[in-house]
Amino acid sequence: MAGDLPVDPDVLREQVRDKYREVAVDPGGGFHFHTGRDLARRLGYEAGTVDALPDRAVESFAGVGNPFSLRRLAPGEKVVDVGSGGGFDSFVAAGQVGTVGQVIGIDMTAEMLAKARQTAAALGLGHVEFREGLAEALPVEDGWADVVISNGVINLCADKRAVFAEIRRVLRPGGRLQFADIANGRPVPVEAMRDIDLWTG
Amino acid sequence: MLQDSGFTDVVTGEAVDTFGGAKGEANARAFDVYGYAFMATRPAG
Repeated sequence: MAGDLPVDPDVLREQVRDKYREVAVDPGGGFHFHTGRDLARRLGYEAGTVDALPDRAVESFAGVGNPFSLRRLAPGEKVVDVGSGGGFDSFVAAGQVGTVGQVIGIDMTAEMLAKARQTAAALGLGHVEFREGLAEALPVEDGWADVVISNGVINLCADKRAVFAEIRRVLRPGGRLQFADIANGRPVPVEAMRDIDLWTG
Repeated sequence: MLQDSGFTDVVTGEAVDTFGGAKGEANARAFDVYGYAFMATRPAG
């Protein structure tokens, strides 16, 4: 295990990959979290935006908040979506930045990447691209992004400082990080922090 | 942690009951877990 991290990052990553493989392949499978259109409604996404997307673009959405709620993206912005999953937030971002902007979604789960790429192709979104990679090692050049978005992903990474350092690297100076994630109002006991099953379930 | 990582102008949105009605609700309630939107800036220069 690396340094003072509560769990082994590699073991956690494999467990997360297994869980989100299920969400990609069987999105109605019944998870400990909500998914799909009902979740998007619960989190306050604009109904018109969600309704305009096909089921395939929304059904594997498993975010925990709305990264667009504090600021709408501007036309022409270049966006990186860390942990893009089935692509829902990338597609919302693509609509906001328009075809003069660009969106790169990054995910580590092959099934999610395949689903997102097929949906992007079906929607004819030439300004959206999905790349395989890790939040701790984003396959994006230094300073490329105007905005980095993420939704419910950083809490699943053992080394959060490494993730934030990597996000900072790919953002241009003056660029923004807009993300959604969970936070606990009561302290989690050390033994629970070390229980890797609790991280994903 | 955001500020320690070199971000400024950190803004936190309202809490959202992310897990309400889901199978994970009991665990979420046990630790007062909610979803939040965050925004922060990489300083220019």
